[in-house]
Amino acid sequence: MAELKLIDIKKSYGAATIIHGVDLAIEDGEFVVFVGPSGCGKSTLLRIIAGLEQVSGGEIRIDGQSVTNVPASDRGLAMVFQSYALYPHMSVYKNMAFALENMSLSRSEIDQRVRRAAQMLQLTDYLDRKPKALSGGQRQRVAIGRAIVRDPKIFLFDEPLSNLDAELRVATRKELAALHAEIGGTMIYVTHDQVEAMTLADRIVVLRAGRIEQVGTPLEVYNHPANLFVAGFIGSPRMNLLPARVAASGQVTIGNDTRTIPLPSTGQTASGASITLGARPEHIDVVDETQADLFITVNLVEQLGGETYLYGSAPGLPELTVRQDGQVRYDRNQKVGLRLKREALHLFDAGGQAIRIR
Amino acid sequence: MTLTSKTSPVASPAPVGGLAQSRGTNPVLKLVSRIIDWPMAGLQRLIGERRMPYIFLLPNLVFFGLFVFVPIAINFVYSVTGGPALFPSERPYVGADQYAYLFECGSYVDPNSCREDHFWRGVYNTLFFSLFQVLAMVGLSLLTAVVLNMKIRGRGFFRAVYFFPVLLSPVVVALIWKWILQRDGLLNAAITGFGGDRILFLAEPGWAMFWAIFVSVWAHMGFYTLILLAGLQAIPADIYEAAEMDATPRWRVFWRLTLPLLWPNLIVVIVLSLIRAVQTFDEVFVLTGGGPGTSTLMVVQYIYETAFSNQVQNFGLAAAASVVLGIVLFALTLAQLAFTQRKSS
Repeated sequence: MAELKLIDIKKSYGAATIIHGVDLAIEDGEFVVFVGPSGCGKSTLLRIIAGLEQVSGGEIRIDGQSVTNVPASDRGLAMVFQSYALYPHMSVYKNMAFALENMSLSRSEIDQRVRRAAQMLQLTDYLDRKPKALSGGQRQRVAIGRAIVRDPKIFLFDEPLSNLDAELRVATRKELAALHAEIGGTMIYVTHDQVEAMTLADRIVVLRAGRIEQVGTPLEVYNHPANLFVAGFIGSPRMNLLPARVAASGQVTIGNDTRTIPLPSTGQTASGASITLGARPEHIDVVDETQADLFITVNLVEQLGGETYLYGSAPGLPELTVRQDGQVRYDRNQKVGLRLKREALHLFDAGGQAIRIR
Repeated sequence: MTLTSKTSPVASPAPVGGLAQSRGTNPVLKLVSRIIDWPMAGLQRLIGERRMPYIFLLPNLVFFGLFVFVPIAINFVYSVTGGPALFPSERPYVGADQYAYLFECGSYVDPNSCREDHFWRGVYNTLFFSLFQVLAMVGLSLLTAVVLNMKIRGRGFFRAVYFFPVLLSPVVVALIWKWILQRDGLLNAAITGFGGDRILFLAEPGWAMFWAIFVSVWAHMGFYTLILLAGLQAIPADIYEAAEMDATPRWRVFWRLTLPLLWPNLIVVIVLSLIRAVQTFDEVFVLTGGGPGTSTLMVVQYIYETAFSNQVQNFGLAAAASVVLGIVLFALTLAQLAFTQRKSS
């Protein structure tokens, strides 16, 4: 286990800058998830930490020691690759033992470590098999086992579940969470799947175009997105982002509507300023005409059994998504009144930064 | 298409139009389609749809049979007949006499004790040549492929340079090297220019065999390098990254990862180069003429000379020697097929 510090990390390929000065401190034993859309630089950042990519600027420290110019093989980290990267001609046992043989450990020590990891990952019955004789989930467990046996300072995971089917992904996600609870190592995990990020992370690092947009616990990031990008990226279905205007201090109007919505505060924003109002689908209620903040015409209804999603449009606004508990019936083109939960709304200024209203 | 099913009205205008239509609006293709459509449809009606593929294969099979299978059969007939006559019908049947003559030896390890000592010298020379040529070929091809697979400056240029000799005719290759290696050749000019003594590279048995092997490796190495390079590039890069994360020393990466993962390609290279080495004729023949003496005489040269260039042309004996060589090559080909099939499975 170890702590990691990234200081002003930059990475360029020729004229193209991929990482623009990232600063981040990861505590000992923490499970940190890098999340962001494709091309945001999350995998590059992980590979920089691993030592598989050289930085163009900045410093990497592990337990206070600079490892910026230390080769990957000497950093004492372990990585689980998206493609598993198992040695195809070796058995599961040999795959897990390979790194230990490099460490010149005794045969008994190697055997003990491999069997302990195999037991932990339920691979004991497959130790003699070659990777091609294993399912995707089993291969992924071997890749994790290969990392565990080394007892590394930090575990690095590069989208390890993305090659698995939906059911297996959920199961393996739970196993990973249990594994972290059991061995307690520092883990850095890259994914573009926000559900993985929300369920696994102690802290989430949201990245966009090589910059950190927000760092926080999953609920901090969910409840208090720092800007429009994070608000739109975290949460599924995504947050409704509606153009609005500050009517007076503590009051906003949505779109072209003249109806005002009272809020605890609108911060320092001047009256008449254009802002964006954010409301998550579960923070909008369907109400009767008298209580409604706005009205939508229903375009589509998705019945998921335990919940119902309502998609509708209103003049001058982007399509709205509303989540309701249970099974609720609506007709297409039905007009529905909506009320936003005041205590859960988000405001963003014209630059897209969050305005503190609570 | 016309060739759809037995029940379709194959001779009716509709499918013909369909084929023509499938060729688009090109009038030439349309015309060709119309011309070939009706005889094909008639043929299909005559022999049935299931036999039609053989009709399409027939032209190639005829040529292949005429120039490969028929000569093999004729060669076998020659090997069991004797006398100087050229036409098989004029040659008396001698059974396995030619084979018995070839294999009549006091001791198989001593060619001098054999009745047909040149054949056995050819066999031993070919064995020696094949062993060292294949070893050198595989070793150097592997080394070159590994280097060319690295991120080195001018990689594309070097890949082309190493492959270039493969494009040359073996006779041209041999003539170039003969020009370099002969008594007054380029190499001796350089040696004497630096004050050294002239070396008879092609007139001393040891040197002649060395250069025969060297030239053969130089000429064909590019092809095998290409096969190995393709194999190296097929190894996923993340396996090497995983090995790096596993703190694997470079020599261990080569022995434990690269070599085993390249093994199927290596087997193909070993067997193919072995087959080629056993068949070696033209390069060595032009370079050394099999000499000095019989020190670089190969089996194929023996067969050629026995049949065509000796004063007494012994077609039967040459044919028997080719059958023996053919059996060896057939066994090697089977081995190669077995290995490649195992690889693909």
